Amino acid sequence: MISLYRPGDSLLHRMPAGPKLVVVAGLATAISLLPANPLLLAAVLVAVAGCYLQAGTGIAEAGRQLWRLRWVLLVVSLSQVFFLPVLTVAANVIRVGAVVLLANLITLTTRTDRLIDALERALRPLRRVGVNSDRVALMLSMTITTIPVIAGFAARIREAQRARGVTVSPFAAVVPLLVMALKHADDLADALVARGAD
Amino acid sequence: MTDRVIGFEHVSVHFARHTALRDVSVRLDQRRIAVIGSNGSGKSTFARTLNGLIVASEGGIRVHGIDPAREPKQVRQRVGFIFSNPDTQIIMPTVAEDVAFSLRRRGLPRQEIRDRVAAALDDFGLTAEADSPVHELSSGQKQLLALCAVLIGEPGLVVADEPTAYLDAANSRRIAGFLLDRMPQQLVLVTHDLRLAARCDVALRFEGGRLADHGEPGPVIARYEKDQDQP
Repeated sequence: MISLYRPGDSLLHRMPAGPKLVVVAGLATAISLLPANPLLLAAVLVAVAGCYLQAGTGIAEAGRQLWRLRWVLLVVSLSQVFFLPVLTVAANVIRVGAVVLLANLITLTTRTDRLIDALERALRPLRRVGVNSDRVALMLSMTITTIPVIAGFAARIREAQRARGVTVSPFAAVVPLLVMALKHADDLADALVARGAD
Repeated sequence: MTDRVIGFEHVSVHFARHTALRDVSVRLDQRRIAVIGSNGSGKSTFARTLNGLIVASEGGIRVHGIDPAREPKQVRQRVGFIFSNPDTQIIMPTVAEDVAFSLRRRGLPRQEIRDRVAAALDDFGLTAEADSPVHELSSGQKQLLALCAVLIGEPGLVVADEPTAYLDAANSRRIAGFLLDRMPQQLVLVTHDLRLAARCDVALRFEGGRLADHGEPGPVIARYEKDQDQP
């Protein structure tokens, strides 16, 4: 779910990252605690869709995000469908989908540096107990940068397996993926030192 | 110009199982310095000692008056390093953020950082990609970004370790053009591309960890090619 910032001038784009995070966290909590009432759940979906429209990304973007979430939503529903009423299962699926869509709206409308700055400021009080907020923020940024790189490694391994006529197996890919990821981590550490981040 | 002198005095670098540099002594004050040699000859180790990524086991190094082993922070402000694979040097998620990362420890006002990043991106033709995720860039754009992120820090020396290794011909020409012709800073260019080495002011050739040859690029490259042709 690394759908990064889409430039824009909407209210959501202009809203400072810190308050936006607090509002979304509050909304996510409220949605999680919402009773399984079809009208309320429909209102949540309409509200989330409205947020996407307001942000200028369009409903299609929300649809794309939901499609990427399909396996998660399937697992959530399958794990409950035999034990809970259908309405409760549907409510849970809608809750998960709506919360993830809202969270995604933050990354779509907030530049990553502003988000990281906000997290850094939020973590600053924890310095007293030894948490280095600079490093946590840097680690988060690097995680966001590295995920597509690791995904690229996985694609390269799959291609190499196909090129050699080997059946593409996720298990056979684990060791080379680990080796490539560790090598990348090593190179990235060198780059951090070279760029004066030590 | 004494402020851009690189000096090596009997420098050796030993690793656990092999010696990467053996008794290297050289003094360099030229603007463009090419470093050539076979794979494993010690070129990259030489380059990495210049900004303290690798510390000499023996001997002394001075880069623009700074000892990289004793003053690592100062040397990293003075020496920018470009790796062959830009993926391993891009740290932040978007183009503008990665360029701004180079200025994060300078204590500059936020607006000045934004202005300098915008100017640098404009200079490298990356303005349209400012907010793009870095993984969506082409290899050539990534290497341009890496170069942009290094140069915004205004280093006195740029060390480029095979910067065109991952690039097609057009992007290689573009990056080489920046490094060799447009950039005013001193350059140490580690390369297998002998045409690029020929455009430098001096060439160093490493073999087996030793500085096997150095001087005018033309004759150094000719002797290297002759040795390569021998069975």
